[in-house]
Amino acid sequence: MMQADISLEAALNALLLADAHALDGKDMSGWLGNYAEEEAASYYCRSAENSEHGFALGFMYDDCRSRLEDRVTFVNDIWAGTFQDYRTRHFVQLTSFDRIDATTLGMRSNFSVFMTPKDTGITQVLAAGQYLDSVRQGKNGELKLLSRRAELDTSVLPRYLVYPI
Amino acid sequence: MTDIKLSWPKNYNEIPKEAFVREDIYAEEVKRIFHGTEWHPVAHESELPNPGDFKTYRLAGVPLLIGRDVDGVVRVFYNACSHRGNQLETAVMGNKTEFECPYHRWLFDSKGDLVGCPNPREFLPGFNKADYPLAQPRFDIFFGLIFVTISAETEALLDYLGDSQNCLRELLAGDGRLKLLGYQKVRYDTNWKSYTDNDGYHAPLLHQAFKMLNWQGGKGRQYTATHRGHICFESALSVATGPSVLKDKSLIEFKGQDPAVGSRIVSLFPTFVSTKHLDVINLRFATPIDAETVEVHYAYFAHQDDDEEMVRHRLRQSSNLLGPCGLISMEDASVFHRIHIGNHTPGSAIFQKGVHDPLKLESEFLQNDESGNLPRWEYYRSVMGFKRAAA
Ligand code: FES
Ligand SMILES: [Fe+2]
Repeated sequence: MMQADISLEAALNALLLADAHALDGKDMSGWLGNYAEEEAASYYCRSAENSEHGFALGFMYDDCRSRLEDRVTFVNDIWAGTFQDYRTRHFVQLTSFDRIDATTLGMRSNFSVFMTPKDTGITQVLAAGQYLDSVRQGKNGELKLLSRRAELDTSVLPRYLVYPI
Repeated sequence: MTDIKLSWPKNYNEIPKEAFVREDIYAEEVKRIFHGTEWHPVAHESELPNPGDFKTYRLAGVPLLIGRDVDGVVRVFYNACSHRGNQLETAVMGNKTEFECPYHRWLFDSKGDLVGCPNPREFLPGFNKADYPLAQPRFDIFFGLIFVTISAETEALLDYLGDSQNCLRELLAGDGRLKLLGYQKVRYDTNWKSYTDNDGYHAPLLHQAFKMLNWQGGKGRQYTATHRGHICFESALSVATGPSVLKDKSLIEFKGQDPAVGSRIVSLFPTFVSTKHLDVINLRFATPIDAETVEVHYAYFAHQDDDEEMVRHRLRQSSNLLGPCGLISMEDASVFHRIHIGNHTPGSAIFQKGVHDPLKLESEFLQNDESGNLPRWEYYRSVMGFKRAAA
């Protein structure tokens, strides 16, 4: 591997971890901050089963930057105090990346997410799957998510979702 | 049938919480309700648009194979080989014109006929393939919605639906010509009856989105159909007014026609819920897994005549609005869990909103009444054979 690849890989890993860190910390503005400030910035969460059959429908379908901003409002303002809260731990592992053009990279990684509802304290797997990302590389080399698709092997969720995966 | 004891209060508006949590009651429900004289929606034809398309589904444990044969005819089979009963198809959905059981390689065509089996000369004398098609439950179809019943005694489907027919047909876009957009599937840690007991009272209270978006409920009615207490809601669509907290308004926009009755819910006994709200068309196929778990497959649809932009709008709205993670429904999912925990306490759940006389059942209700659920509860009590205390 070339030196440039190694530092790029480290930067991609840092982006992956920053997202996991924001989600596990329920820091929705931190989560939003990992996305590029472009109208095309998007987040989708859907089952691999839907994808395999050609269905775009998901558990979450935020196809523009303002939908991402609204997702922050859902969690922080609209749903506050109405649900049983739960902790999550995201484990992510970069599996491949490639350059698409001068400012865009493709990245794949595996994830597994544990959840622990506050009331029961019992930990179980919430979902496993892979992230299919495209990543925007800024002028100074900084990386942001342009589009993320959390594709869930878990086609039947063990409960509802409040936070993005 | 086993005689199960549960003392039921004399008032129609009191439901003993034990009914939600006792294992012996659940086992009896499976026999009397899920394998009894009820019709259960298991799919919509538009989930299998082409010859050879199939979907598998388990109805309270019973494996079903729902397929469209090579001539385009929809058929429902038990998903079990007619030889020794091996589960025939394992895929959730797909397209096949033949189904081969891997155990001893019996081969069935899309009409369920046994078309091949190795070494039949060594079988019982007189063995005839024609005697071994895939077994079928009774099924019938209403505007594309496929219903199954396990019992031979269930009345005809149209009688079963009774006065819910109109509302259900309208909800299925009036002509049933739907196009599948995909699924959201989830398990809730709750008894199946808590899942279906969701009421008209809670909407403006639990769901903060209504308040924050200044989204008033439109005028509407709620009524029950047949002695089973199927529930229908029909209401005018209201559109959010005032300053919105949402940056992307398309999520709560209505692009369809007919806002006069733009919102419909049909909830059929025992577990089926369907809804048309804004531009979302959603059929929820639900089945109990055990006394404390219900699995719900939210299937979403477009109409076959939609243009590309409308399909995209429906995809966005369907994914984000009314499902297990939806803007105005995620809280319902959480209540399903919490009400199940609360039901492990003594006494009864007591309905108030819309109850005029606890000793009388009604069939017309206001949109935000919770009493619309009571006729269904009375039917449940009678089918389970629980004795009501003397008035
Ligand atoms: S069980 Fe299917 S071929 Fe024997
Ligand atoms: Fe609700």
